[in-house]
Amino acid sequence: MASIKLSNIVKSYGAFTGVREMTLDIKDEEFLVLLGPSGCGKTTTMRMIAGLEQPTEGEIIIGDEMVNGVDARDRDVAMVFQGYALYPNMSIYENIRFPLRMRGVPKAEQDVLIRRAADMVELGDYLDRKPAALSGGQRQRAALARAVVRQPQVFLMDEPLSNLDAKLRASMRVQIKHLQRQLKVTTVYVTHDQIEAMTLADRIVIMNQGAIQQIGTPDQIYSDPANVFVAGFIGSPPMNLIAGTARNGSFDAPGLKVACPPGVAGQVTLGIRPEDCRVGGDTLQGTVYGVEPTGDVTYLTVATGARQIEVKAARDFRADIDAAIGIGFDPAQLYFFDDQGQRIRRVA
Amino acid sequence: MPAIQKGARKRKSRGESMVLRYAILGSWAACCLLPILWFLTIAFRPRTEIITTQPIYWPTFSLDAWHLLMSDWPIAQYMRNSFFAVSGSVIIDLMLAIPAAYALSRYEFKGRDDIGFYILSTRMMAPAIVAVPIFFLFKTMGLLDSVWALMLIYAAINLSLVTWIIRSYMLDIPKELEDAARTDGAGDLRILWEIIVPACLPGIITAAVIATIFAINEFLFTLLIASTEKAYTMSVALANFTGGSDGVIYNAIALVSFLAFVPILILVILIQKHLSRGLTMGAVKG
Repeated sequence: MASIKLSNIVKSYGAFTGVREMTLDIKDEEFLVLLGPSGCGKTTTMRMIAGLEQPTEGEIIIGDEMVNGVDARDRDVAMVFQGYALYPNMSIYENIRFPLRMRGVPKAEQDVLIRRAADMVELGDYLDRKPAALSGGQRQRAALARAVVRQPQVFLMDEPLSNLDAKLRASMRVQIKHLQRQLKVTTVYVTHDQIEAMTLADRIVIMNQGAIQQIGTPDQIYSDPANVFVAGFIGSPPMNLIAGTARNGSFDAPGLKVACPPGVAGQVTLGIRPEDCRVGGDTLQGTVYGVEPTGDVTYLTVATGARQIEVKAARDFRADIDAAIGIGFDPAQLYFFDDQGQRIRRVA
Repeated sequence: MPAIQKGARKRKSRGESMVLRYAILGSWAACCLLPILWFLTIAFRPRTEIITTQPIYWPTFSLDAWHLLMSDWPIAQYMRNSFFAVSGSVIIDLMLAIPAAYALSRYEFKGRDDIGFYILSTRMMAPAIVAVPIFFLFKTMGLLDSVWALMLIYAAINLSLVTWIIRSYMLDIPKELEDAARTDGAGDLRILWEIIVPACLPGIITAAVIATIFAINEFLFTLLIASTEKAYTMSVALANFTGGSDGVIYNAIALVSFLAFVPILILVILIQKHLSRGLTMGAVKG
């Protein structure tokens, strides 16, 4: 078990910078999720921790050891890949055994470890099969077993669930979290799926264009976003963002006027989450654009001028398309962002 | 009722289309197999029935050619020479081509693509251009008229092709597999041997079979290097039946050709599954 420290990591490919000036402390036994859209540098960051790529600048420290220049095979990390990366010519037993063999674990111990790892992911009955004879979920569990079998210092998981269907993903998510808690191994998990990030992480690192946007617990990230990018990225549906101007304690946008803290002024973006909007208020007038019942809640899309506002309505809410509707904003749940997209905290 | 009739019609038309399919495939197969059958009938008929001007539809079965081969020609020696030269060359090719293909497909180094193309370009040269230099080279090395020399020549001729075929298969192997092996603690050689080679086995087999066929059929350099029975192979032996006081001995030529053909046929049948998979897998990602 080990902590991981990244200090001022830069990764460049010629003129293109994949990861810029990244500094991050990952605590021992922590489950850290790197979250961001495709191409934001999250996988590159993970591959640098794994040793599959070397940083252009900066230091990576695993435990007490600076690992820059240390080959992947000599870092005590185990990685789970998006495409499972099971060795197709070997049985599941041999696949799980491979890392033990490579590290010279005595033969007598190998069998015990392999069976224990396979039982952890409920694959005990499939050890003789080749990967091709397993379903997607079973393959991913086999890949997990191969990672846990040698009890590494660090687990790295690169979008391990994105090839699975939604139902399987949910059950595998629980299994991964359970395994991590059971084994107490520091884990870095890369995903672009915010539900995975919110449900799995102790802390989430949100990345965009190679840079960290915010680090925090899922609650902090959700309720206290640092900038427009984080606000718009987290939440499903995401936060409504409305551009306007603020002056003398009042925020104005076409068809909308709300009070804002007195210090907020200039070109400002107002943010409000769909669950903080309510049907029947008078903050905003519009027409119903779409109604999406999901069973436990109904999502309502309201068209106001050129904008659309997402509202989380009661489960039994129904309305006709194009019907006039008034929306109210909870004044305590408004977020303001400056013209650079940075959050304007409460001004004293 | 109409539904049943419709079903019956569907079944019937499916049956008809199957018959048609078999007829087309069968006639195509007959076209392909006819030369082999033709060879066989020539190989096992007496010489007089070959040189006659009248067509003979039902030839007499005869083992004349077989006896001639067994008594007058060291055919077993030719086969042995062919076997050693060809199998040795394929082994050399694989030993050199697999690491080369791995480096060309996986390592990033300056001029990699140029080197890859250069290797392939050796194949574009007409063999006759290098025939004379090769002759003197082997003469200087004292390797004329030896199976070892043939082995080296066949290996050299096919190496570029074998490397290129295997490389194209290796390019199709997901990089993730290697990354997984590396984080699992494997070094380059072990990754190559335990992960890459098994994963591109169909490609390696395809390349080996193609190299075998090319090597067995090689004629020019074999004729140049081999001057006695010590190094004659099946392909050159065939030429020996065309000269001399006996004229062209067609039935013996047919029999030797058939003998040269059978091992490849058996080889291809044995590895058919890999070969067909191999020929398609290299081109399209599966």
